[in-house]
Amino acid sequence: MQKEMIKNPFQLMVRPFQGFWELKYELNRKENLIISFIILIAFIITNILSTQYAGFVVNIYNPDEMNSIMEIVYVVVPLLFWCIANWSLTTLMDGEGKFVEIFIATCFALIPLVVINLPWVFLSNFLSHQEAMFYYLSQSFAVIWFVFLIYVGTMTVHQYTPAKTTVTIFFIIIAMGFLAFLSLLFFSLIQQISSFLITIYREFVLRY
Amino acid sequence: MLKRLRKVCLSLLVALVIFSTFCIEVAPVQASDNHTSYNYSFWEEAVPAPPAFLPTMIINGSQLGIDNLNTPSDMHVSDENEIYIADTGNNRIVILDELFEYKDTIDSFSGEGAQGSFSSPEGVYVTSENHIYIADTGNNRVVHLDENQELVKIIDEPESEMLTSTFSFRPKKVAVDDAGRTFVLSEGVFDGFMEFSVDGYFTTFIGANRVQVDSIDYLWRRFATREQRSQMVMFVPTEFTSLDLDEDGFIYATNIDDSDDVIKKINARGDDILRREGYFNPVGDIDYDRSRGPSRLIDIAVADHGIYSVLDSRRGRIFTYNNDGFLMYVFGNLGNKMGEFHTPIAIERFEDYFLVLDQELGEITVFHSSAYGHTIDEAVRSYEQGDEDRAQALFEEIVNMNINLEFAYTGIGKALLRQDQFEEAMYNFEQSLDQANYSKAYLLYRNEVLRENFSLMMGIIFTVIALSVGFSVYRKKSKRKRVF
Repeated sequence: MQKEMIKNPFQLMVRPFQGFWELKYELNRKENLIISFIILIAFIITNILSTQYAGFVVNIYNPDEMNSIMEIVYVVVPLLFWCIANWSLTTLMDGEGKFVEIFIATCFALIPLVVINLPWVFLSNFLSHQEAMFYYLSQSFAVIWFVFLIYVGTMTVHQYTPAKTTVTIFFIIIAMGFLAFLSLLFFSLIQQISSFLITIYREFVLRY
Repeated sequence: MLKRLRKVCLSLLVALVIFSTFCIEVAPVQASDNHTSYNYSFWEEAVPAPPAFLPTMIINGSQLGIDNLNTPSDMHVSDENEIYIADTGNNRIVILDELFEYKDTIDSFSGEGAQGSFSSPEGVYVTSENHIYIADTGNNRVVHLDENQELVKIIDEPESEMLTSTFSFRPKKVAVDDAGRTFVLSEGVFDGFMEFSVDGYFTTFIGANRVQVDSIDYLWRRFATREQRSQMVMFVPTEFTSLDLDEDGFIYATNIDDSDDVIKKINARGDDILRREGYFNPVGDIDYDRSRGPSRLIDIAVADHGIYSVLDSRRGRIFTYNNDGFLMYVFGNLGNKMGEFHTPIAIERFEDYFLVLDQELGEITVFHSSAYGHTIDEAVRSYEQGDEDRAQALFEEIVNMNINLEFAYTGIGKALLRQDQFEEAMYNFEQSLDQANYSKAYLLYRNEVLRENFSLMMGIIFTVIALSVGFSVYRKKSKRKRVF
């Protein structure tokens, strides 16, 4: 069983249609969720490592602005936005997927970004300027693969036709924009309220 | 399971809200205004730096034993280090010697039967033969005097097909190259500098600034009718504010375009050939208070080896760049203390001195380079001359004085690279965040390491191949045995 757990994600990478089908209908959901979180953490670690340790030729970073917590936020927030937007749209558009299934499929789609980028963190230290091309090539390859997987994943989870998936993904991206806008609005309002309360409290304290 | 997930999500959200309210506060304003001596890092942030120039004295009219300068607007230092000041309000040119003592005044000229005086002259230039060119703005002419202050020629308002009938010739700044061609910055001319031949005939315009078009304005204009369009403001290129010539006769010019090419180096064809290889474009301040706007560069002074300085009248700062466009040092400020200005209008430098002319106060502040500034100047000069060993030694001195001066590390790195010290060179290029040179050093370093360890590595590779082949053969054999 342990062996299967490790093998499945890699099989899904190369046989996405079969892999996502098994993910949805055949495999244990709890195990899948655990693997999803492992993949997510691995992806975050890859990102942090690559901003810190990728070779100087491909990576100039400002140590003042490097923040591992923000790296986590940069991964988790868009992912959650995607899942929430995906779920809220597909429930209206006859999608069969549940929120957990969407989350699992999205996390599994991240595998190429980990598998390809993690070795490059190490390898990029042995690159010259001309060879850096290979680094960027494989990075874009990983992104394309990821997009393909997420496309197949969405299609399988909701049992959509390819055309419907394309349209849905387009709307999901718009919905993500709305979400970002709303949460910005929400947070700035909360901030204003809290600063208002803090001011009142301060005035109280100073007066009495 | 799901319930728990939901709970976790909710608590995360709450945590995020609380976190964000405390975390996201107003970012501290990065004001470079408080430092008079700073430099910009690779990250375009102001970092403190030692002062490169220190004020030593202030020269004004009463000190020189003459009438106070009245709204002077230009100054020029000749090759013999004599300082010529265009004392606009007093209609005269004041000459000081290299010890900053009063030497002479020119308020009228004569020769070839003509004579005359000046009317608010705003520009002055002295050639290597000590010929004096005066932009006699009030009289709409440029006056050319020889070394004995005898009149050679007068450049009057030119007549040409290129000029419109409403054109008025108001020369404000003038510069002359070694071939005797005169470049005049005339008020209200948008086509660049006016170039005059040796005989004083107008030949052409050179180096016009490009028109800056606001995209929204452009869109409006697309939809406007012809009548509306004629009422709108025309898109015209900005005027230059100043010019100077370098040793090779290239024109260095400043304008107030609010673009990336406020400083230009113009060749004979009128093309801008300024090198902008630094961490950012040479535009004066790059991290500034938006409400006060970007630097307003109103004068430029070119030293040797492509080192040039520009004067920002908005904040009273002087920025000095090297030939590649790296910011060497910044000094000066607006204020009332010594070394601060009220309305700086012109800068000049010679040897280790830096002169700043203040228009309203009618005085010149004399700066002398500090050990730090002198070392940078010398290092950049040695580097430009190709004397890399000396440059390396000087750059190392600079790094000891100011660890934040990033481009100094490139200087050290390049010298080390030539000495085949690749690893040390890589370290220095990493300090100066110079990826291209780092890559060069790294390639050489890698080759060196590979060459040294060639036999060992080939040995390892062959052993690994042999072992894996042997292992697979063994496995096949043992499998066959099992089958039969």
